[in-house]
Amino acid sequence: MPWVFRGLRNGVLTTGYPRRPDPYADTFRGAVTVVDPAATGEVEELCPTSAITRGEAGQVALDRGRCILCGHCVHQRPDAFAWAEGSEAARLTRPALVVPEHEEDDHALAELRTELARRVRRLRRSVHLRHVDAGSDGADEWEIAALLNPVYDVHRLGIFFTATPRHADILLVTGAGARGMVQPLARTLEAMPQPVVVIAVGTDAISGGLVSPSYATSEGVGHQVPVDVWVPGSPASPFAILHGILLALDRVPTRRSEVPA
Amino acid sequence: MSTTVSIASSPLTEWRTLVCKEIQAGRRLAGLFGTATGEDVRITAALADLTGGIRLLDTVLPSWQRDYPALTPDARAAFWYERELHDLFGIEPTGHPRLDPLVLPLPDTTSRPRPGSSVQPGTLHPTEEAVGRHVLGPGMFTIPHGPVRSGVFESVEYLVETPGEDIPFPQIRVYHKHRGIEKRFEGLSIEDAVLLTERVEGIASVAHALAFCHAVEDLAGVEVPRAAGLVRVIHAELERVANHLDVALRLAEAAGLAVAIARLGWHKERVLRLVSRCCGNRFGRGVVVPGGVSDLPRVAAAELAGELPRLERDITGDEQVLMATASFLDRLRGTGPLSTDLAATHGALGPIGRASGRTEDIREVDRDDGYRHLDPITAPHADAGDAMARLRVRWAEVHDSFDLATAAVEQLDHGVPGSLRADVSTVQGRGVGRAEAPQGEVLYVVEIADGRITRCKPRSASFHNLPLFHSVFAGDILTDFPFIEASFGLSIAGVVL
Amino acid sequence: MTATFLIAGLAVLAAATLVDLAVGVRTTAGRLAPHLLCAAAAVLLLIAGLRATLGAPARVNLDDWLAFGNAGLTLDALSGLFLTIASAVAVPVALVFASWSRSTERLRRRGLGALHALTLAAVAVIITADNAFVFFFAWEGLTVLFYLLTGFARHRPGRARASVLTIGVSKSGGAALLLGLLLLATTAHSYRLTDFTSVHSGVVHGAAYGLLLLAFAAKVGLAPVQTWMPEGYAAAPGPARALMAGVAALVGFYGMWRTLALLGPPPLWLIIVVLLLGGLTALLGIAHTTVQQDLRRVIAYSSVENAGLIVTGFGVALVGAAAHLPALQAAGLLAATLQAIAHAVAKSALFCATATFEVQQGTTLLDALGGLSRRMPFSGAAFGLGALTLAGLPPTAGFVSEWFLLEALMQQFRVSGLGYRLPLAIAGALVALTAGFAAVAFVRVLGLVVLGAGDDAPRPRTDTGPAGRVGLMVLAAGCLALAALTPLEIQLIAHGLTGLVPAGVTAQASGANWVLGPVFANFSVLSPSWLAIELPTGAIVVLLLAWWASAGRVFAVRRVPAWRSATGGVTGEDRYTPFGYANPTRRVLASVLLTRARVQQLEHIPEHARNEIDPQANEHPTAQLGYTVDVVELVDRYGYRPLVKPLRALATAATRLQSGRLDAYLTYMLIALVALLAVVTALS
Repeated sequence: MPWVFRGLRNGVLTTGYPRRPDPYADTFRGAVTVVDPAATGEVEELCPTSAITRGEAGQVALDRGRCILCGHCVHQRPDAFAWAEGSEAARLTRPALVVPEHEEDDHALAELRTELARRVRRLRRSVHLRHVDAGSDGADEWEIAALLNPVYDVHRLGIFFTATPRHADILLVTGAGARGMVQPLARTLEAMPQPVVVIAVGTDAISGGLVSPSYATSEGVGHQVPVDVWVPGSPASPFAILHGILLALDRVPTRRSEVPA
Repeated sequence: MSTTVSIASSPLTEWRTLVCKEIQAGRRLAGLFGTATGEDVRITAALADLTGGIRLLDTVLPSWQRDYPALTPDARAAFWYERELHDLFGIEPTGHPRLDPLVLPLPDTTSRPRPGSSVQPGTLHPTEEAVGRHVLGPGMFTIPHGPVRSGVFESVEYLVETPGEDIPFPQIRVYHKHRGIEKRFEGLSIEDAVLLTERVEGIASVAHALAFCHAVEDLAGVEVPRAAGLVRVIHAELERVANHLDVALRLAEAAGLAVAIARLGWHKERVLRLVSRCCGNRFGRGVVVPGGVSDLPRVAAAELAGELPRLERDITGDEQVLMATASFLDRLRGTGPLSTDLAATHGALGPIGRASGRTEDIREVDRDDGYRHLDPITAPHADAGDAMARLRVRWAEVHDSFDLATAAVEQLDHGVPGSLRADVSTVQGRGVGRAEAPQGEVLYVVEIADGRITRCKPRSASFHNLPLFHSVFAGDILTDFPFIEASFGLSIAGVVL
Repeated sequence: MTATFLIAGLAVLAAATLVDLAVGVRTTAGRLAPHLLCAAAAVLLLIAGLRATLGAPARVNLDDWLAFGNAGLTLDALSGLFLTIASAVAVPVALVFASWSRSTERLRRRGLGALHALTLAAVAVIITADNAFVFFFAWEGLTVLFYLLTGFARHRPGRARASVLTIGVSKSGGAALLLGLLLLATTAHSYRLTDFTSVHSGVVHGAAYGLLLLAFAAKVGLAPVQTWMPEGYAAAPGPARALMAGVAALVGFYGMWRTLALLGPPPLWLIIVVLLLGGLTALLGIAHTTVQQDLRRVIAYSSVENAGLIVTGFGVALVGAAAHLPALQAAGLLAATLQAIAHAVAKSALFCATATFEVQQGTTLLDALGGLSRRMPFSGAAFGLGALTLAGLPPTAGFVSEWFLLEALMQQFRVSGLGYRLPLAIAGALVALTAGFAAVAFVRVLGLVVLGAGDDAPRPRTDTGPAGRVGLMVLAAGCLALAALTPLEIQLIAHGLTGLVPAGVTAQASGANWVLGPVFANFSVLSPSWLAIELPTGAIVVLLLAWWASAGRVFAVRRVPAWRSATGGVTGEDRYTPFGYANPTRRVLASVLLTRARVQQLEHIPEHARNEIDPQANEHPTAQLGYTVDVVELVDRYGYRPLVKPLRALATAATRLQSGRLDAYLTYMLIALVALLAVVTALS
C-alpha cells in the first residue's frame, strides 16, 4: 500500500523524447567531431583506438565506430577536435559513422531505408526487442536496461523487451564479438522470426573498441550478424540506443538535433 | 597507498609449503595467476593480511614442466584460479578436484594465450565443450540457464542440475564473454591502459582505474594530490551507490514490485546523470588518471553539496518502504545463505563477505586517496549471510557512501590548492594496487617496462566471489535463483576477462 | 432368450479355454483363437446384459447341478447393468489381447488364453450368481485367476512378491466375504442372496455389511487394502492388466451395489468410514499417480484413486439410503456408476496402449519414454483420450462423471445431522483436491510421454496389429462417445438401478434437450452432448478466423530447434523429465508421500554403489554429488511393514506345531472338537 503513494510522489519523470527535445539528451557528450579537417601534426597518434585517420588528400577523419570517447584528442588538440553534444549518433551504415561525412550516396541510402522499412512495416507501434551480450564490459547492459526505467519508459513508445527471441523483432547486440558467443548469437538469430533487424549497440559492438585487436574477439559483431543500425558510444547512452531503435523503425522525427557532423 | 607489498620467490616445493603456511597463518589468498616469461611460467600467489599488506609469492615453472601439485585441496579459494591457470597457460595443477575449462575452453593441442609473453596468439576459438554432470540422481536433468537469458543480462550460463525444483549444485560456465583483456594490456602505454581498465568491468570502471593507478603510483612512489584524492572519492562512492541501487533494483525485479522497480530505476538514473554531469561520462570514465584525476567535477561543489543529500533522502524513503514490504523480505530471508566459515576460508570479498562475518574493506585498510583526509568509516557487516543480510549491508554502505562523498565535496568546496596530477611518467617494475569496488576488493598486479605494460593482471571481486555461488543453494529452489543471483551483484565481464 | 445368450457366452468361454489348452501357442491361429473367442463371448454376454437391463430378466437354474440348494444364475436389472459394462469393455480388450498375442516372443507358453476366458467367465458368474456359495466360489476363482495372471510372466522381476501380495490381500478379502456371507446366511437361514433382505438391522447386519464391503474394497483397491494393486497390475502381462483393472475390478463395485440392494442402509459408523476412506483413498492414489516413475504403476495407482472416487459416490448413496432420500441415493449411485464406467473404459485404454508401448520400447519407465504418439498413433491416441478421461477434462466421459460426483457431494445440505454432513463435506474437499491433482498427474504422462519430445533417433512407425487397433479405437471413441451420449447412458443406468431406486428418480438427471442435472432439479446443469458439438465447432471457427486474419500465413511456419537459451554442450538429460515434473507435487503432498531428499558426497560412496543412486551413474564419471528424492507408500510402510516381523514369528511358531507326528495332529483335532462343542453348548 505505501508503494501506491510513493509511486505518485514525484509526478511524471518521463522524457518527452522523441516528440519533444530532451535537454539531457541534447547536452550529453555523445560523440567527438572534427573541427578542422585540415589540421596538421601527428593527430592519428592521439587516439588509442586508431579512430583518427588521415585521408589521401591529407584531410583528418574520425571514425565514431572506433571512438571510445576518451577525449584525449579533444584535450590535446582543441583546435582540431571537439565534443559534439547530443545523443542522436546512430547511423544506418558503417561508413556514415565517419566524420566529417563524405558525400553520401543518396540513392544507396534511400534504397537501404526502403529495404529496412519493408522489414519493419508490420511492427507498427508494437516492437519487441531481444538483447544479446557478445562480450560487453557490462556497462552496455545497464544502459539498455535503463530504457525501462520511468525516465525513458520505452513502453510508452510500444517498445518491449522479450524473454525469448521467439517473440522478438529486433536484436540488440552489445560487446566486442567474443568468439565464445559466436554460436549462441547465431542460435539466437535463427530462433527469431523473420525478418529481423539487428542493432549493434556501443563502440565495442561496432569495431571492438579498445578491446580489439584480440585473439578472443572478432572486432565487433558486424562479422557475425548482419547489422542494420550502428549505435556508437562507450557505452552508448540510453538516448543513443533509443535513437537507434527509432531509426530502425523510421520513427525519428525529422525536425532537429542530430549530432552535428 | 598504504598497501605494503613484499615480493618473494622460491622453488616450487617450498613455494607450495609457504603458500599453505601463509594461509594457515590467517592470510587470505587474494589471487593466483601466471605470467609467461619466455617459455617458463611464473606462478604468483597474492596473499593479503588484514593490515593492508600484500605478499606476492613467486615460483617459476620451467618450460619442461607442465604440472604442479594443485593448491586447491589445501586452499579452497584457489579452485577457480587454478582452472584459469590451466586455460591460459596449459599447465596442469595435479590433484585439482575438477579441472573443467573456465575462462577459455580450448582443445589441449592448441596454443594458449600465455599472458606475459610478448607473442600475440592467433585467433583462438573456444570449444563448446560438453560439461560433465556434477550431480547424480534419479530423474536428474539440466536446465541450461543462459548464455542468452531472459532479460537484459550479461552472457553467462548456469547449468542448473535439478530433480525438478531443488538446486543441489549449479554449474557455472563463464567463458562465452572471454575478450582476451590480459593480453590486450600488453604493450599499451600507461595512459591507454587506464582506459582499458575502465572497460574490464564496466560497472566498476572507477574502482578498476583506481586499483591500476594505485599500482602505478606505488611504483612511482608518489602520492596523489589532495584535491585529486577527494575527486576520486566522490566518483568511487557514486559508483558504489549506483551499483548497490542496481542490486536492490534486480531484487525488486525478482519479486515483481513494480513501483519499487520504477523508483529504484529512477534513483539509479539520477546517480548516473549526476556522474555524467560531473565528468561527461555516465560511468565516471576518464576521471581517474595515473597520478591523480583529469579534472575537477564540472558541477559546482555547492550544487553537488545540495544534490547529494536530496538524492540520499529520496533513496532512504524508498529503502524504508522496501525493507518493510513483507512479500519482498520473505523472499530474501534465509535465501542463499553463505556460512561464515565458508566466507572465511574462501576469503569472500565485498558486501558478500561482509554479510557473512568478514569485516575487511580496502578503503578502511589502505586509507589511500581522499579517504585519508576524511573521517574513517567502519564497514557495515552482518553474520546472517543470506540475501537479506547482503542487501542490508549494501543499504548501510549506500549511506556511508553519501556521507563520504558529501564530506569530500565539502572539503573541495573550501578550496584545495595544488595540481590535480602527480608525475608518474618514469615508472618501472612490478606494482600491486587495489581498491574497494562495489563488488569488493579489486586487485591489480602490473609490470611496466619502458613506459609500456608488459603484464597486467586484473583480479575483480566478481571473479573471486562467483565460485561461492556453487555453495549457497542450501534448500533453495528454482524460484529463489534470481534472488540469489541478484544478491551477489557481480559482473560477468569482471569474472572472465 | 436372455438366458440363452448368457449360456452361449459362457459356453464360448469354455470353448476358448479348451482351445487354448489343447492347441497351445505354437501356431498363430492357436494364439489368436482363444482371445477372439473371448471377444465373441463378450459380445454374447453384452447382449444378455443389455436385454436384462432393459427389462428382460432371466434365470439359469443350477439346482440340479450343484448341491447348494436353491442356486442359479440370475440376470436381473442390476446384474444386467454390470454385465453390460464389463462385457462391453471386454470386447475391445480381447481384440487388443489377440493382437498382442500374435508374436511368439511375448508368449512362449499356453495358458494365457485360458486365463483370459476363465476370468471373463468368473466375472459373469459373480455378477449373475444368486446363491451365496456360487457367488463365493466364483469370487475365489477370480482370486486364483488374479494370482495366476500376476505370476504368468515368469521372467519379470518382482513377480513373486507381486503375486504373493495379490493373493494374500485377495485371500483376506475372500475370508471377509465368507464370514460376511455366513453371518447373513445363519441369520436369514438361506443361501439365496435375495433372502438376505430379511436382515435389516442389528449387530449381525452391521458386521456383515462391514465384512462384505471390506471384501469388495480389497478387489477395487480401496485403502488400506490397496497395497497389492500397483504390484499386481504391474506384474501382469500386457493387456491382462486391462482385463484385471478395467473388466474384473467391476465385480467389486457390483458387490457393493448388490450389498446395498440386499441389506439396505448400513449403520452410521460404516457410512462415515466409507466416505472418509473413499476420500482418503482418492487423495493417496492420486498423490502416487503423480509421482510414480513407472507407467504401469502410474496407471495402477490411478485405479486406487478411482476406487476412492467411486466409493465416495457410493458413500453418498449410502447416506441417501439411510436418510430415506431416494433422490440423493440416486444421485450418489448415478455418479458412482458413471465414474465406474468411465474408469473401466479409460483404464482399459491406458493399459492396452501401455502394452503396445512396453512391447515397442522395452520399458515402461517414464524417464525412458517420450513422444510415443508419433511412432504409435493408435496406441498414443487411445492413451491420450484415456488419460484425459481419468484427468476429468472435457469433452471426455471422465469430466461428466466427476462433475456428477462433485454435484452429488454438494447435496450434503439436504441431509440433517452432523454425522452425515461432516464426512460428506470432508469427502467433498478431498475429492475436489484429487480432481485438481488428477490433471497434474495426467498432464505429466500425456505431455511428456505420449506427446513430448522423444529420443531423437528416427524409428519406424510400429503399432499393434489390426485387431488391436480396432480395440484401441473402440476404447478411445468410447471415452468421447460416452460423454456425448450421457443422456442415453443415464437412461440405461436408471433401468439398471431399478432394484435400488425407481428408474424415474434416477432418470430425472437427464432433462430435456440433452441437458443434464444432478438428479435434483434446478441445482445446476451441464450438457456434455452440446459440449461435444460446441468445442470442435469453436476450435474450427477460431482456426478459420486465424487463417483469415493472417491471410493464410498462420500455416506457413519456419521450423527451428526449440529455444534453449542458446546453449551448447550440455551432458545428460537436458529437458524436463517426468520425474522433475512431479517434483512440485512431491513437495506439496509431502505429508501424504513422506518425501525425503538426500544429498551425498560421492567420494564417500564406492563406485559400484553409485548405480543405486542413479542407474546411469557410469555415464557421468564427472559427478561429485548424489541427490535422491524418495517417496513412501504410507499404508504399506506404517500399516503392514510393522506387522511383517510378528507375523513371521507367528509363522515360525506355527511351523513348530507341524511336527509331522500323527499323535500330535490327533491331539489338535481333539482339542478343536472339544472347543467347538463348548462354544455350541454355551451358545445354545
